[in-house]
Amino acid sequence: MNPDILQGLSQASLPINLLATAIGVLLGLIVGMIPGLTISSGIIIVLPLTFVLEPDLSIALLLGLYVSGMTGGSFSAILLNIPGTPSASATAIDGYPMAQRGEAGQALGISITAGFLGGMFSFLCLYLIAPLLAEVALQFHAADLFSLVFFGLTIICSFAAKSLVKGLLSAIIGLLIVTVGQDPVMGTARYTFGDVNILSGIHFLTALIGLFAIPQLVGSLTDTGVSTAGARQHFGSILPKWETLKKIRRSVSIGSSIGAFLGILPGVGGPIAAFISYDYAKKASKKPEDFGHGSIEGIAAPESANNAVTGGALIPMMTLGIPGDPVTAILIGALLVHGLAPGPLLFIERADFAYGVIFSFFWANIFNLIIALSGLRMLVKVLATPKAMLMPAIALFCVIGSYALRNSFFDVYVMLFFGLIGLAMKKLNMPVVPMLLGLVLGKQLEEHLRVALTSSKGDISIFFTSPFSLLFLSLSAISIVWAFVAEHRKKSNLSKGVAP
Amino acid sequence: MTTLKTILTNATAIAVASAFVFPVLLSGPAKAFPDGPIEFVIPFGAGGGADIEGRVLAKEMSKVLGVPVVPINKPGAGGAVTYTYVKNSKPNGNTIAWSSTSILTTTNIGNVPYGYDAFDHIGRVEYQPMPFAVKGDAPYKTLKAFAAACKKAPGTLKVANSSAGSATHLAAIALMDAIGCKAIHLPAGVTRRNATVLSGESNAMIAPLTGAVNLAKAKKIRVLAMPSEKRNAVMPNVPTAKELGFDAELDLFRSLSVAKGTPIGVKAKLAGAMTAAANSKAFTDLAEKNGFTIAPMQVGQFEAYLKQENAKVVKIMKAAGLYQSKMK
Repeated sequence: MNPDILQGLSQASLPINLLATAIGVLLGLIVGMIPGLTISSGIIIVLPLTFVLEPDLSIALLLGLYVSGMTGGSFSAILLNIPGTPSASATAIDGYPMAQRGEAGQALGISITAGFLGGMFSFLCLYLIAPLLAEVALQFHAADLFSLVFFGLTIICSFAAKSLVKGLLSAIIGLLIVTVGQDPVMGTARYTFGDVNILSGIHFLTALIGLFAIPQLVGSLTDTGVSTAGARQHFGSILPKWETLKKIRRSVSIGSSIGAFLGILPGVGGPIAAFISYDYAKKASKKPEDFGHGSIEGIAAPESANNAVTGGALIPMMTLGIPGDPVTAILIGALLVHGLAPGPLLFIERADFAYGVIFSFFWANIFNLIIALSGLRMLVKVLATPKAMLMPAIALFCVIGSYALRNSFFDVYVMLFFGLIGLAMKKLNMPVVPMLLGLVLGKQLEEHLRVALTSSKGDISIFFTSPFSLLFLSLSAISIVWAFVAEHRKKSNLSKGVAP
Repeated sequence: MTTLKTILTNATAIAVASAFVFPVLLSGPAKAFPDGPIEFVIPFGAGGGADIEGRVLAKEMSKVLGVPVVPINKPGAGGAVTYTYVKNSKPNGNTIAWSSTSILTTTNIGNVPYGYDAFDHIGRVEYQPMPFAVKGDAPYKTLKAFAAACKKAPGTLKVANSSAGSATHLAAIALMDAIGCKAIHLPAGVTRRNATVLSGESNAMIAPLTGAVNLAKAKKIRVLAMPSEKRNAVMPNVPTAKELGFDAELDLFRSLSVAKGTPIGVKAKLAGAMTAAANSKAFTDLAEKNGFTIAPMQVGQFEAYLKQENAKVVKIMKAAGLYQSKMK
């Protein structure tokens, strides 16, 4: 066996690393459960606290949070009919009817088990695919990487945007913001007005804190509060029975495969994977009529899918440095803060660390199962925490977080400014995810483009002669065409009065 | 849950309190230096060479001075953020910059309106060479062979560097000029530089020693020469460019700098602590592991060294059309 694999495994299995993973899982369950706190904002809030930790500890904690956030989201979806995270939206469709029937415990148990199975499936994908993909990605030249990043940008427009125009606009604003600061290739100043703070550019994590957390804080001010009565009901048995597990076999397989696959595609993320797998599981089910009325298969499919997304999304993040979803975009930032650049070289220069991440992900899934099943009754009491206590703490973490990134108070103002942008976008119904991807991918897009053109002495044909680049550009074309077709179909569906 | 909440509340209280208390402590009256914590500002992000080396040095300096020497990363703009911050700090020795060759590159590329001489310098701590390397299975076994291949096909071989105007770029320009090679300089970036050599996109690269040592040990890359003063202990078999008859020499140094006008007594104390910390066991162990050379240089000698290095940087930058001074 490769010594790096063993070293990664032993590093991830150290007691202190396991403790970090377990703490992350606990935090993730809580963050996921609280409606209005997404996993992205949870990770953003915890991130600055991890700066002081060793990189492997900090990534173990964040992975724990990521994995269990997906599961935590289903608790409030099932108990209150309010998805704790967007990824749990599909779970509410069948989870809440089950809870109303007095089978809340069974619904939660299935959600946790299905999530575990989906997560473990995606762990296997990560473990088997990532090193191979890294091997291939090592052959990529700047032109190939440009086309790959470009492909990533086209995908967000076809998935994450409700309206294509608003999605594109959001992405372009993100790309424009990235150009502020130091020219990544020539080192000269751009749009800085001679200010040395602006010269260092806008750190995308600072922008993300503003874009994600501030609108949520403001939103909670106007929130009248939700009934938490459901959280106090009697659950009954939580552990799923063997026959139940057999019944959800098919939907878990569907959910896991769809989740892991969609996770690999940049920018898709949990919510879409959950809905698509719900749809497929319904089509494949022997009892499709039960779906929507408390079908256990209807819980198993989206829950296995959104947990499978996590491992899938880690694959392009670790091997290509390209995020599979918003959370992995933030994880890239977290690794960079520690001086570790995700990308194919991670598997050569720091293979022990790369495998450490993979095995921390494994442990995160194990702990998620154990902590969620054993601590469920205690954990759901969090749902009764008044927001008046929660929100000030979050506001404080936003300020500390944006300051701590570069020890610069200027960044706190930048964060607040992006908070205003986030609020405006919310008002205009403009999706934030394309902007996020623009912010994360923009710099890479420009760097690869310019390095490729430097290398070819300005000859554009380099993008069409390299087979990898050509492949990614063709995929981009397909995804753009698909976006228009989907938009057209959605509109015609709407005019027919059919919900999309 | 309540304990967790208490811990969180306490932690945030401490964080908020220290945010207020720190500046107060720092601006306190200067009686006998050092009278409070010293900010040790690192111009690059956590985890990189500058950060790892700086943190060990700061810790050792703190032992000597008897006050906390707190490492703070202020990355951005190739070091310009840190240099501007320290330049504008009070000249009382409580804010020191972990300066490096970047103090010469950022000031000459025209992004900041001052030169390296806008600071008082404490002294040099260490330096490291920037090896010139090709892929492990590349056809070029020696620097001469690379030069010959380049002369046969001028303007086609590509040499990767960390970014345009950075020390690695300047070293690459100097070395290519010395061997008479017209190459394409690829500003591949710190994270992509090594990868472009492994993928074959670049034919060679210049990297800081600490950034190339792992790949060289794994025989993924072959180091042909070092445009350095003398051979390096980590790779004693690699000749310097000068030994091979090519006149190119640019090393990456790290040093300490403070705001202009800092009292002489304060600077002397810092210099003493710097030398003691540089020769401490922790720091020498790190040097042995990572391959940089500890060579403390006191202020007089260091000023002359800086002047000489700055002249080199300006010369290379001017020749490459990168030089653009904003000094008034």
